[in-house]
Amino acid sequence: MEKYGIGQPVRRKEDARFITGAGTFVDDITRENLAHAFVLRSPYAHADIGRIDTSEAMAMPGVLAIITGADWIAEGFAPMPTKSAVQTKIDGSKLNQPPRHPLAIGRARYVGEPVAFIVAETRAQARDAGEAVEVDYEEREAVTDPAKAIAPGAPRIWDDIEGNFCLDFELGDRQATDKAFEDAGHVVTLELRNQRVTAVPIEPRGAIAEYDSATGRYKLHNATQNVHANRAAFAGVLNISPDELHHIAPDVGGGFGAKNSGYPEPPLLLHAAKKLGRPVKWINDRNESFQSDTHGRAQDSKVELALDEDGKFLALRTATIGDIGAYCWTIGPFTPTAGSARTQGGPYYFPAMYYTSRAVFTNTMPLDPYRGAGRPEASFQIERVVELAARKLGIDPVELRAKNLMPADSLPRKTPMGLDVDSGDFPKVFGRTLEMSDRAGYAQRVEASRERGLRRGFAIAPYLECTGGSPKEFAGVKFAKDGTLTLSVGSQSTGMGHETSMPQILAATLGLDIAKISYVQADTQATPIGGGHGGSRNLEVGGSAVVTAANEIIGKAKQIAAHLLNSSAEDMSFADGAFADVKTDQSVSIEDVIAASLEQARLPGDMEPGCLDTGAIFEREVISCPNGCHAAEVEVDPETGAVQVVGYWVVDDFGTIINPLLAEGQVMGGIAQGLGQALLEEIIYDPESGQLVTGSLMDYALPRADDLPAMEMEFFEDAPTAKNPLGVKGAGEAGCCGAPPAIVNAVLDALAGDGVTHIEMPLTPQKIWRAIAEAKT
Amino acid sequence: MPAISLSVNGKPVSGEYEARTLLCELLRGHLALTGTHVGCDTSQCGACVVLVDGDPVKSCAMLAAQADGREVTTIEGLAGGEKLHPMQEAFRDHHALQCGFCTPGMILTSVALARGNPALGEEDVAKGLEGNLCRCTGYRNIIRAVMAGAKAMREQGDV
Ligand code: FES
Ligand code: FES
Repeated sequence: MEKYGIGQPVRRKEDARFITGAGTFVDDITRENLAHAFVLRSPYAHADIGRIDTSEAMAMPGVLAIITGADWIAEGFAPMPTKSAVQTKIDGSKLNQPPRHPLAIGRARYVGEPVAFIVAETRAQARDAGEAVEVDYEEREAVTDPAKAIAPGAPRIWDDIEGNFCLDFELGDRQATDKAFEDAGHVVTLELRNQRVTAVPIEPRGAIAEYDSATGRYKLHNATQNVHANRAAFAGVLNISPDELHHIAPDVGGGFGAKNSGYPEPPLLLHAAKKLGRPVKWINDRNESFQSDTHGRAQDSKVELALDEDGKFLALRTATIGDIGAYCWTIGPFTPTAGSARTQGGPYYFPAMYYTSRAVFTNTMPLDPYRGAGRPEASFQIERVVELAARKLGIDPVELRAKNLMPADSLPRKTPMGLDVDSGDFPKVFGRTLEMSDRAGYAQRVEASRERGLRRGFAIAPYLECTGGSPKEFAGVKFAKDGTLTLSVGSQSTGMGHETSMPQILAATLGLDIAKISYVQADTQATPIGGGHGGSRNLEVGGSAVVTAANEIIGKAKQIAAHLLNSSAEDMSFADGAFADVKTDQSVSIEDVIAASLEQARLPGDMEPGCLDTGAIFEREVISCPNGCHAAEVEVDPETGAVQVVGYWVVDDFGTIINPLLAEGQVMGGIAQGLGQALLEEIIYDPESGQLVTGSLMDYALPRADDLPAMEMEFFEDAPTAKNPLGVKGAGEAGCCGAPPAIVNAVLDALAGDGVTHIEMPLTPQKIWRAIAEAKT
Repeated sequence: MPAISLSVNGKPVSGEYEARTLLCELLRGHLALTGTHVGCDTSQCGACVVLVDGDPVKSCAMLAAQADGREVTTIEGLAGGEKLHPMQEAFRDHHALQCGFCTPGMILTSVALARGNPALGEEDVAKGLEGNLCRCTGYRNIIRAVMAGAKAMREQGDV
């Protein structure tokens, strides 16, 4: 029997199906009598919708149904909910939240907004019919830039919302911060943008809806990250009880936040399935995905750093305009407000901080969390302004950082943003990263680069972030007669390997063979609650729920073991998969206890077969704080502006590491997305027409295999958190926090001699080349 | 409708298919070989790569009719029965996949890379995978896996 402990690099169980092509993604599912849907999307960023003539399209071959906004409203369905944790403006009044329906009602407000839903016998027929639907559009002036959207005279996106303003927000001590700035020896100010990007999971969104007229129940297989919350959302829209909807996510091909939201297509599919009495499938194509997957980041900020004469940080002041697109979407207003405020200032010791922001509507695809949701933005803000301060004050940026990190003995500490930083050793992690990056050999490497006509640059970027997502999670364990067991958890993997890491925790805690454990996730009938995927929450709350369940099982199993050994539960110890009587040394294996738990004859009188089956809920009280440090070396070709990242080092403090293989995978994947943000990716809308310029994989540059450097990484495990029983801090989003500042600052370090001090992301060759040319003049 | 016959994973397939049927549609739809994935509509992602007469081909960019008379290998046909192909093993051993959506295309492209270059180096792999996008892994474990898989293939005389 193979036993796998916590901390072992267990190979993934799920891989067996993925490497053989046996995975089941939503488009792999088919049904008898399946119909196919196509979403007709607005070609305009802002337009009144007049008459929609569907007569010609309805008459086309294979067409079964066409649903327009007017049809939808006539059904009396409710709008989609917004669940932002921030609901009020600074003055206490409610945020401005326009109604969002799955189809545009009377007016389209972004390119790609659904206007009609067409169902036909085949996908091609539905698409052909979509092209035959005649929509009278009256184009309006569009605004896609958030600063312009709140300027006087901007076109109004919502008639009853003045200034395209959703809400404003503040956190921190404004007075103390202002005072610190007045008294400061130095003030360094930087305006910067965390540009709009999108997640681009390689599997596009899609779903299949079914309706059973005999039971009145719906079933939805959906490429989503969050079956429970979205079940509630869709049920609310359709005015049904959540119990009437069975929501399942099969294998999901990446999410990164973009599959978290309550999207318009599933309620349309559910409605169509009932109306037609047939299962209906819809799969987004890639070009539609760029228009209709939620976007991320899109924040313009002014960041001000106050320092004393010696370079000690005194205060940080950040003012952000957050673009949230045309609607509040699911939690859109949260990211540029509380989502970005919490981790302001990163791992540095600040006596005072003040954060303020405004969330603004534009004629663009709405924003929702994208890997990190506010923390990467905050990390980029602080690290850029610190780098600039070092440059301006003539201090080595490494030294300036080292000098201002929160000392280990200052923890636990509540930052001025209210973040509860309980554990960690930032100076140690920082020092180890420096060591790994071989500073001693750097001068030689710079010289070697120079000889090849290249500029070399280095930067180090410590980060501090936090977890998020739903605070509660459920884990259930069921034992079968054949010695196998099933673990069901309400959190969800879209590639992170929960099917391995979660059974690993259970196997380790119970001392069982991991091969005996099968794993169920993402099914509203498998767990009573579930928080899905988001905020690097799985190990923290899901893993803790597994531990909680396992401990309950051990408690009950002790009673059975005591019965089998003619002893008492109090005298039972449990270790290495066996219960032993501390007095007599007699023992019984957990396998035997489990077998006994399924036979009445071997159980104490007050216990019944199946008594070990357990469901447990863990609820986190306080979010944990993953932290760490990235360092990057880059080479820049001044002739072409091309950047190659040539060295990369990371030390992460994720608390206890359950499976280093998976944790490293998370870090590398996050770095790749961070590198994309730093160097390659940007969602661009044409400022005049509001058309999406980067609407395909030909225009939107994703990192490729030769863009990524080899990465050296280590974990710092000496400071587990006490906020959960596993001591874990969350690993999924950290890479996105560390990589953009490390890479951007390294490029700017390489260009320091050219007099370049700032370039907005993404640092494309054109922008770098232009910055060098402009600095010369 | 043109009549086509081809071999898929060593089995003969023939039928009449609409002229516009893409190879990926034939595989996924008509033959229910859903291991071949479709991740884009501009032939950029490589999730749909299959081997046609041993060469890696984006099956979303080839008509089924163009595969007439040829030998197609999909991810389902790569392993010899129960025994995994060394490249499949290497992907699992090196944690070269997360969501698994890009994986079939990655593995088949990698098999062709290994067969095409007995002295395959890391840079060749990084360049050779340019037409295959992965959004999850950050590629480095894929590169490690391909190096290991190629080595194992060489040892088994499959290169
Ligand atoms: S599906 Fe993307 S390249 Fe074929
Ligand atoms: S493993 Fe998810 S896209 Fe490659």
